[in-house]
Amino acid sequence: MSATRIVITGMGAVTGFGFEWQSMWKKMLRGEHCIRPWQPEGVEDGAFPVRYAAPVDSGLLPDYLQGHPAWQMPLEKRSRFGWVAASQAVTDSGLHLAQLREAAVLCASGAPAHMLQDMLLTFSDEPHETPAWRHLMGRVEQVNPAGSLCQSNDRLARLIADGIGCEGPVINISSACAGASQAIGNAFQMIRRGEVEVAIAGGADSVLSLDTMTALYLLGAASSEQRWGTELCRPFDRHRSGLIAGEGGAFVVLETLERALARGAIPYAEVLGFGSSLDGYKVTAPDPQGRGAALAMQTALHDAGIAPQQVDLINAHGTSTPLNDAAETLAIKAVFAEREHYRRLAISANKSQFGHLIAAAGAPEFIVTALACRHDRITPTINLHDADELCDLDYCTHQAVNRRVDVALSNSFGFGGLNTSLVLGKYREHA
Amino acid sequence: MMRASHTQVAIAGAGCVLPSGWGVESFWSAVCESRSGIAPLHSRQFHSERVTAFGKILDEDHQRSRQDLAQNLQRYCSPAVIWGVSAVRQALAEANLAPGQDGLRYGLYCCQGGFTHPSLASYGELLHECRGGEGADMRLLARRILQERVQDPFLVLKGLSNILLGVVSLALKLECECNAYMQGVSGNLAALREACAALQSRRIDAAIIVGSGSELDALALGALVQAGVINADGSQTLRPFDVQGTGGIAGEGAAALILRRREDLGDAPQTCLLGMTAHVDLDALNLPDKQVDLLVCAGSGDPRKDRQLSQTLARAGAAHITSGLPVTGILSAAPSLVDLILARGALQAQSVPPILGLQRPVAAHLPFVMDASRSAILRDCLVINRDDNGFSACYQLQYSAQAASA
Repeated sequence: MSATRIVITGMGAVTGFGFEWQSMWKKMLRGEHCIRPWQPEGVEDGAFPVRYAAPVDSGLLPDYLQGHPAWQMPLEKRSRFGWVAASQAVTDSGLHLAQLREAAVLCASGAPAHMLQDMLLTFSDEPHETPAWRHLMGRVEQVNPAGSLCQSNDRLARLIADGIGCEGPVINISSACAGASQAIGNAFQMIRRGEVEVAIAGGADSVLSLDTMTALYLLGAASSEQRWGTELCRPFDRHRSGLIAGEGGAFVVLETLERALARGAIPYAEVLGFGSSLDGYKVTAPDPQGRGAALAMQTALHDAGIAPQQVDLINAHGTSTPLNDAAETLAIKAVFAEREHYRRLAISANKSQFGHLIAAAGAPEFIVTALACRHDRITPTINLHDADELCDLDYCTHQAVNRRVDVALSNSFGFGGLNTSLVLGKYREHA
Repeated sequence: MMRASHTQVAIAGAGCVLPSGWGVESFWSAVCESRSGIAPLHSRQFHSERVTAFGKILDEDHQRSRQDLAQNLQRYCSPAVIWGVSAVRQALAEANLAPGQDGLRYGLYCCQGGFTHPSLASYGELLHECRGGEGADMRLLARRILQERVQDPFLVLKGLSNILLGVVSLALKLECECNAYMQGVSGNLAALREACAALQSRRIDAAIIVGSGSELDALALGALVQAGVINADGSQTLRPFDVQGTGGIAGEGAAALILRRREDLGDAPQTCLLGMTAHVDLDALNLPDKQVDLLVCAGSGDPRKDRQLSQTLARAGAAHITSGLPVTGILSAAPSLVDLILARGALQAQSVPPILGLQRPVAAHLPFVMDASRSAILRDCLVINRDDNGFSACYQLQYSAQAASA
């Protein structure tokens, strides 16, 4: 176990619930969700098979960005979400910008949302001519500068570092749906190794565009089921049919406990361990036995010096896809091998409430896990009415649960077979 | 500087697929013989009158790399991912390692280029068909995509920012700790730092670090022109540190390193990675106090930037300075890995290859190696990298027969 204790002192989240974590937390405890009818821009009603998502109300962005340099910049939507969330986390931490000068910034922002309109502008007029460079160079000015085509994937990390004035390491993590968790885990490791004392870590993403959602649909990841309406996202349910995409971003400020206490900060929770693993099974599907997921949890627990029986809560990856939820349940059973251990575990799947934020997913879920440790309250897995026979754990269905949470895991698994698990603990003055 | 550790980390193996050829030997002979892999730009996707040169992987090297990856995995892969797998296999072979069979615990740390969108060509035909008077006819586009499934779903996989990690893990059946990074110099540094930390903490016994990418895409090249990273004046040569330099030329390729604890490698001489440092500002980059025998620094090809860079290089007090950039072009995903391979080659050969094309250095007082390889006693080496956004990193290497105290 680490001698250096690392705590969470600031949090920021932008989700379909709104632009701050406080209202997200309250609504989640009430069992609400932010999934609603959605269709890609420009597509006629009912033409697109994926009809539900958890979008952010971007119309409110000006309220949160005006006055910030980021408002003037040509930025993708995901970068704007990320900037708001990171700024919020910094404000929430009470740290002055001067105290963040040596901070590290670790950020996951996924693959860009491709804007077909932008791509079209770069093509030549002649239908049979491949796009000519002279056309491109003439037309590239017309391409939406906020579009992904003009922006490298490290844009958000750089924006946060420059905007806050951080001169420490700036690291862009690109590990798909496990990205934000990897960013937080790496930040934890860097502080523990003594490379930095404070880090801003998290992620932001949006896949709510025609081409990306089409591809997710064609790959069989996104649900096109119609009958459940906005209750479509139902992790661990017999009728789960695929992920429901969300969008947004979330960041946390991590720092050493010593530093936090010295400036009078009150930590939300403590980070105890981190583990990652690879399935080595398939690009498009998790190992059905959940071996990689189990390895990530075991590694994280070992890293934290925590025995399985000490764990009270698992914030599951819980995507509502048939393969993931069954494999994750098997993985949990493998790690918490004794029946009495996994029977007393509380499992919560936040994606039932704010959808799947893809590369950013792990960050708001990490925040919810930290709040569970702080308040001994567990957000529910909603829409789980008819549990799959393969999914037979306590998923805290329908209503928030009041239960003591001393130690919790937050799981995130990514396309390509990448798994991460973070261990959090209730903050106590003495370890 | 990275925290000192009593556990030294050594480069146990290396592999690459670069414009100079397939494998470390090809790269080393190309730099020694001043043979550039940069060639006139020919793309099936676009024609350019302003960007006319590129460091492109030869087709025969691409085909050779494909032999290192099972056919069923290749459908997920952009060419760069295939080169990445090949580079990893080369590095493992040199290190005499066989994951899954040697009982070692591995870590896998990957870097991809900054632009991961599928190439324009993938969308070209569809977009042409769906053009309307005011841009795209989105209804037609949606109908074509959905009803006829004209969009290849594997495009998204190929564009995934961690597809290199996924495919390497599948190809090698790895179930180990891992991470995937982006951004050239910064991503390479993060991968190497995590790998060293995992080795020094003894969580793993061998680290695989691989970077792979390509900017052979009209929009990616357009973005690099706009950022001032590559030239758009039709120049065919890349001349770092030369007053007649005309700017950068992009390239593509992959490089991989195997890192292990020095103590696990026996008595043979090894190139050890003693430390690394980074800063967002080149001028503030922390360099070791003592002078070094060799300095490897890519440079940019832009005389103004290279003059500024030379001021930092002067602080290192190196006896010899070289660069492999004119051989490969600017590599988006593996800049530091390639420079580390070059540095290791020089340390092993006790010979410094020349900087191809350098005739009139921007800083005449600096010991740039010109014209031909120079034999020298080389023990200590620095590798200095700088991104176009100013982020800079420095790696400290030492070549020695025995593990030295940290």
